[in-house]
Amino acid sequence: MDQYETRGIRRFLLEIGGFLKNSLGNFFSLEFLSVLIPLLLLWEFLPRLGVIPESLLPRLSTVAATFIDMLLHKSLLLHILYSMGRFFTAFAIAVGLAVPIGLVMGWNTKIRAFILPLWQLLSPIPPPAWVPMTIIVFGIGSNMHIFLMFIGIFYPVLFNTYQGIKDTDPRYLASARVFGASEFTLLRKVYFWHAFGSIIMSLKTGVSMGLVMLVIGEAYGGRMGIGYLLGQAKDYFLIPDMMVCMAIIGFIGWFLIEVLKYIEIKLALWKVGR
Amino acid sequence: MIEARSISKFISVVNENGLAGGLTAVLNVSISIPDGKIVSIIGPSGCGKSTFLEILAGLQAPTEGEIRIDGKLVLEPLPSTRKEMEDYKRRYRFISPLANGVFTDHPKHDIAMIFQDYAVFPWMTAINNIVFALRLRVAGIKRRERPTHKEMLEKASYYLAKVGLSGSEYKYPSQLSGGMRQRLALARALSVEPKIILMDEPFAAVDALSREKLQDDLLRLWAETKENATPIIIILITHDVQEAVYLSDEVVVFSPSPGSIRNRIPVDIERPRARTDPAIIEIQERIFAMLQYDINQENEYSI
Repeated sequence: MDQYETRGIRRFLLEIGGFLKNSLGNFFSLEFLSVLIPLLLLWEFLPRLGVIPESLLPRLSTVAATFIDMLLHKSLLLHILYSMGRFFTAFAIAVGLAVPIGLVMGWNTKIRAFILPLWQLLSPIPPPAWVPMTIIVFGIGSNMHIFLMFIGIFYPVLFNTYQGIKDTDPRYLASARVFGASEFTLLRKVYFWHAFGSIIMSLKTGVSMGLVMLVIGEAYGGRMGIGYLLGQAKDYFLIPDMMVCMAIIGFIGWFLIEVLKYIEIKLALWKVGR
Repeated sequence: MIEARSISKFISVVNENGLAGGLTAVLNVSISIPDGKIVSIIGPSGCGKSTFLEILAGLQAPTEGEIRIDGKLVLEPLPSTRKEMEDYKRRYRFISPLANGVFTDHPKHDIAMIFQDYAVFPWMTAINNIVFALRLRVAGIKRRERPTHKEMLEKASYYLAKVGLSGSEYKYPSQLSGGMRQRLALARALSVEPKIILMDEPFAAVDALSREKLQDDLLRLWAETKENATPIIIILITHDVQEAVYLSDEVVVFSPSPGSIRNRIPVDIERPRARTDPAIIEIQERIFAMLQYDINQENEYSI
């Protein structure tokens, strides 16, 4: 109990510790290490022994060296910063729009009748199909990247939120209504929390869809970003560079999903005991 | 004082062959319940007693008839002509007639309701569940005269202690046993000091021993409110004949399809009652016989 009473720096450090334990804990379990270490060894030694040609699969050590080289000489951090800046802008806009629209749509059948068919028509268009239109309308640049990622994130978040809200058990609503809850209170205190699991789930899907669109968008144009680096590596046939880019994108996705998981654990304490 | 005048409810259902069909859930039920009484409604499952209770609570509109609580109409009946239907649709275009309001919390009637399951919100701690209800009840009062958050917390823990849940204030419902959860629901219902408590099979999911304890607790808490200006009415839906007779002043027996009142049996036995009192047993036997007859002769009742 007293862990939750601490404040300030100490509380912050405790939270960080909790987060690391939750996210990295899986990796440092004995079970997983017994799979991971042999895999890494294979990665290092198969090319080294010539089983797989080194031009196709560079060694682990080469990739690591490339990573450091890119960090020092190719301003890798700046590229990451650019990509993430765009990604978070798109994510904030998409979530800021999709969650309220999903809430309202799940809550009221009349509003649903007005706008749901629109999303049902638009959402089957695969996000990459938006690329040519977007390039013409927005030109090549940050706006285009942000819009493409927005398209990727918006629909999964919208539909999952809507579904979660719509499935709220009517008996919870009934008991709140009998006590006198207004519709707004119902949305805030009942619908939202009932749908909380599916909202977080939708954000996770949103993160992965957003990253897909990040790579696609940046590969099509731009001068900065991870996707751009990846495209460049392809043009110059630099396999270690490609691997570094892939690993970085994978790491970002993993990290963001872990953050969401941690938020879920922290906010949905009532589910922990189940 | 609750007055129900010839309540009927038709609902549309899907037949076995996949076509839309109609079903009369409740047919022509009239009943008036004076203040301070405990009334049980008993009947086989699917006889429309839960529907009737929801109509009482204003959670469903009756097809015909009206319910008045202290002379105030609960919900207007559904429209029956085309013109009325159009008016109704226009009026409730964006917000259902069940809603209390879009932004302002305000209970329509002084009712609390307890369901068999889903009674309390799993995402709130025990004490927050109660404070949630308290906060909704005081929303109508002027901001200055409203009780503070601290006062509400105190009131919540007072009622938790009353049902024997002190010490579980900060637990989530999933950490409580089934019986404790129903106790919490009871505490929440009592904390808003309502005039009417409606219970839909409140003790059905609880094991037999806890059930007897809960029944006694309910009677004790109800007796404590007897000194109030307007004593509480409790309407209880149950499958359990013993429970119905032990708790209530009157047992209303529903007959199935369509649900209507088959018989009303007063239980004029002084409280505290003993479960093994011969007078109680005798009434139980009578109700059992009635229900048995209904189940065996089911075909004669259906239209």
